[in-house]
Amino acid sequence: MTTSNNESSRKLTANVKAAGCAAKISSLELKQVLSSIPRTQCPELLTSLENFEDAAVYKITEDIAIIETVDFFPPVVDDPFLFGRIAAVNALSDVYAMGGKPVIALNVLCFPTCDYPLSVVEEILKGGQAACAEAGVTVAGGHSIQGPEPVFGLAVTGVINPKSILTNGGAKNGDVLVLTKPLGTGVMLLGLKGDTLSQIERKQLLDSLTLLNKQALEIANKYHPSAATDITGFGLIGHTTEMALASGLAAYLYIDELPFFACAVALASQGLVPAGAYANRNTFSSSVINLEHIEIAIQDLLFDPQTSGGLMFALQEEQAVRLLAELTAEGLTASIIGGFVEGKAGQVEVKK
Amino acid sequence: MSTDKKQDSANSLDLRGLMCPEPVLRTKKLLDQKPEGAVEVLVDSDINVMNLTRLANSLGLSLHSKEKDGGYMVVISKKNESEAGRIPHNHDVSQTASASGQKASSQKSANTSVVFIAKDTFGEGDRDFSVNLLNVFLQTILQAGHKPQAILLANTGVRLMDPDSSVRKVLDEFKEAGIEVLACGLCVEFYGLKEKIKAEQITNMYAICEYLFSADKVISP
Repeated sequence: MTTSNNESSRKLTANVKAAGCAAKISSLELKQVLSSIPRTQCPELLTSLENFEDAAVYKITEDIAIIETVDFFPPVVDDPFLFGRIAAVNALSDVYAMGGKPVIALNVLCFPTCDYPLSVVEEILKGGQAACAEAGVTVAGGHSIQGPEPVFGLAVTGVINPKSILTNGGAKNGDVLVLTKPLGTGVMLLGLKGDTLSQIERKQLLDSLTLLNKQALEIANKYHPSAATDITGFGLIGHTTEMALASGLAAYLYIDELPFFACAVALASQGLVPAGAYANRNTFSSSVINLEHIEIAIQDLLFDPQTSGGLMFALQEEQAVRLLAELTAEGLTASIIGGFVEGKAGQVEVKK
Repeated sequence: MSTDKKQDSANSLDLRGLMCPEPVLRTKKLLDQKPEGAVEVLVDSDINVMNLTRLANSLGLSLHSKEKDGGYMVVISKKNESEAGRIPHNHDVSQTASASGQKASSQKSANTSVVFIAKDTFGEGDRDFSVNLLNVFLQTILQAGHKPQAILLANTGVRLMDPDSSVRKVLDEFKEAGIEVLACGLCVEFYGLKEKIKAEQITNMYAICEYLFSADKVISP
């Protein structure tokens, strides 16, 4: 390879094949593998594997349950501190997506110490620590190994009252969907890697990637959401399908209401589409109605794997309108993007 | 920027082993240097082919691919002569290039707009201030996420394309965002800027008229 021998000059993303949540194993492959693994019955486990929840919830008492989740991925940016911060924000998000409060976290680290100076590891961990500190989470330890490609993330423990859990399966007929971050991070990260983003576009992307979903959840909890998830590796369509399936309802999405990053459509139309988007298309396109009427670039963005994506809440329309107003007033990007109706469970209709 | 001589004489690239988005970006660079001829690239995976299909569609070019040596040989070329004019009627996504097997939408995007700039200032007033104001205007369009179909430059407006102009940078950003930035050929000639502007960004009055008359909205600062 032509990689420079000068360790400090080597880019963190140099060897990375798929960045962030685009590195996820496809949902189809995962289902195939998991189907052969025997399940243990556990009455205290409040989440079911079938519903593709964001995290596992284990009941301790009638009032206390713990939330467990782990998330890690290869570098999405060359700045190690920023990478650490984004990976941690992304990992913490799964606890917020269940409606909980993260309390402690463990670092999960794989790192080729021959290829990069140790100061790079230090920066990654500092970035992770910074995100945890902002979230009020204590980093209590971790585990690190050598490997060919850097990987970082967190195992996070959160707490929740079992009655307040927000699962994928709680959505009601007539609920609408509120999304709290812009869409298109997979495409935008390719643009960032290819150095095709302007300073403004770069800033918008990084601001979104490093934004904790903490505040969005705290605000949303006032408006009694019936279901929640975070939009990550399976893309908007994947996570909407999962929520619809788990809730036994059909979903619809308003294409014109989707909050894409300003240049994401242009980048996607020029072929900056991550492999994960094609994998998500293979997995989920059969559950989508009217997809063929949508421009290809928009289709790609519907399947685009999101890293550190926003929360998506299902709730009654009048509550959603008030939630939207409060989120927007707090400076968060928020939109009502669709909703649920009676129909074939797991079906998603895209509407102009 | 000076053009690499070796690349200039070659119409093909071996892009195997490169990671996303390099194959797309390098192919685009080669196409930018070869507005006339077909280019051939060798890539590893069908993902690369699907991404190059999108690139070809966005440029109104046709694409053919076949498996070769465990990878794919992709040929991108002009569709045919009648479609060569960089005129908005050909803006629809091509059906011929759908190697990924998806049907392209034939619907024209709603409410097309073009920005028509026929002088190098925003209104009349203090010269430096008026040039700056034009810069701010264009920056704001980008930041707000407005997607005009094209930015058309005529008369002294073509001076904005001069590499020395403070406005050139934002015009390049529009280009990167997939928005056409085109300068009137007569004007470029008259103001002696022919050497400083890429041939692919120089157009004629016929194409300018086509843009203006086919747009739903023409915005002129």
